[in-house]
Amino acid sequence: MSRILKWVVMLIALAVICRAFPLFHVVSLKTAAAKNAAQKFDAATFAENFWTEKLLPAADKAVNADVLLAAIQQHLAAAKTNYARSPGMGDSYIYFLRGEGKVVSIAGDEIFLVVSESATNAEIVLETGLIFGNTLRDGTGLLSASDYPDSQDFNDIAAALNKIVETRVLPKLRASAKIGAKISFAGCAEIDDESTDLKPLKIIPIQAEVQ
Amino acid sequence: MSANSKELLKRSQSLLALVAMVVALSLLSDKFLTFANGRNILLQISVNLCLSIGMTLVILTGGIDLSVGAILAFAGAFAAGLLKNGLALKAFGVVLQFTPFGAIVAGIVVGFALGWFNGIVITRFKLPPFVATLGMLSIARGLTMLWTGGFPITDLGPQFGFIGAGFFLGVPMAVWISAALVVIFVVISRRTILGRYIYAVGGSEKASAFSGLNVNRIKIWVYALGGALAAVAGLIVTARLDAADPKAGLGYELDSIAAVVIGGTSLSGGRGSILGTVLGCLIIGVLNNGLFLLNVSPFWQQVVKGFVILAAVAIDRTNKAER
Repeated sequence: MSRILKWVVMLIALAVICRAFPLFHVVSLKTAAAKNAAQKFDAATFAENFWTEKLLPAADKAVNADVLLAAIQQHLAAAKTNYARSPGMGDSYIYFLRGEGKVVSIAGDEIFLVVSESATNAEIVLETGLIFGNTLRDGTGLLSASDYPDSQDFNDIAAALNKIVETRVLPKLRASAKIGAKISFAGCAEIDDESTDLKPLKIIPIQAEVQ
Repeated sequence: MSANSKELLKRSQSLLALVAMVVALSLLSDKFLTFANGRNILLQISVNLCLSIGMTLVILTGGIDLSVGAILAFAGAFAAGLLKNGLALKAFGVVLQFTPFGAIVAGIVVGFALGWFNGIVITRFKLPPFVATLGMLSIARGLTMLWTGGFPITDLGPQFGFIGAGFFLGVPMAVWISAALVVIFVVISRRTILGRYIYAVGGSEKASAFSGLNVNRIKIWVYALGGALAAVAGLIVTARLDAADPKAGLGYELDSIAAVVIGGTSLSGGRGSILGTVLGCLIIGVLNNGLFLLNVSPFWQQVVKGFVILAAVAIDRTNKAER
């Protein structure tokens, strides 16, 4: 009998504790789904708005390609200080630039351009294949990781921006680019290795108009 | 030297080693003996301390538990998953949305259950603890991957984060939790029947069984407590990072075994103490911290730690032979 009493007392104590400090709340599936949908970060919509409202307007303020190329030629460290952005803790950095160039060759997923009249080798490469990484998200400085407590949301923005470029910018560019044509462009160039990534500058375009 | 002095010296070996290290590091680095660094060391050892208390009980019974790191990861991920996503019961058309308190309780319960399963496998199926807990290591790692999908579960909120990143009276909560566990388990091991039974089983399993102790039940309890303590460590890690990393706790079982052995607990069971393990954790923590402050490469830190463990086991064997 005393054993049963002990169990009853323990159960009552447990019930009181659970009443004071509830372990969980029961919510209907519909309510929970609606709440989750409201809370969930919609990277695609965010990227769409960011693209039209901030990224494309910011392209007008990007450094001119001829100015940047001359600066790199003259003094690489100064060019980096004045025009580049270092998004992470690593050594890589990104230039956000715009300009106009003439197509000198097309090979695979790359369109080679010269910007200055006197150039003999390609100075710019517009990448037209699949886009990976965070270059577009981080290249302009318009977005900061600290604004996104969930790092997955921040990663999703990068993927959504890459997708916009892949579906809207690159198909038109691939279809209309020809050797000798002039292209006005804007985009980001990430420099991981200065010995290979600077000559020519490999750009992920956010704008590319073939004239 | 008298026999009594010799015995006292043997018992104080870990403490003397710790004092010697503190003195040496204080002389070598002016950053070592500061309040901030002391608090930092305590915070760093708090997770290992939770694991090592459970490991001490297991080793005192003559066993070993290789699954604590994996249980740490699963319990942390389980609690984080319940807190972030809840538990959908589709058959009833409802979701159980866990409170931070509920998620903590669920994490500890799941750790206890996995440890209990270890105990069942070891006692009922007579598997060596090494093999049984190695199996659990793999099971718990797999469950963690299944539960998380291989991705961290992040953004768990400040209430849950308080147990890992919060402060109370200027001391990190993780330190308070591990200190409370030390007190509780010192009392359990020294002042309760379960504590005496644990030492008895480790001293001689056969003699304990002959004297009427339910050895299997004691072992199951010990492994279950070890699992629950690993879960507490997992909750602290998860709360501190504000994320449940599926790869959390990799190799932690070795650090906890090292702390127990350095603290003077015999690997063959029956001899040792929770306070000795606290010293073991402090020695490892001070060693890691000191070598870091002295700019010693992490690779050399591993080498030094390995030699310290070897020395501790060698001293234990020598003492045992002398007896």
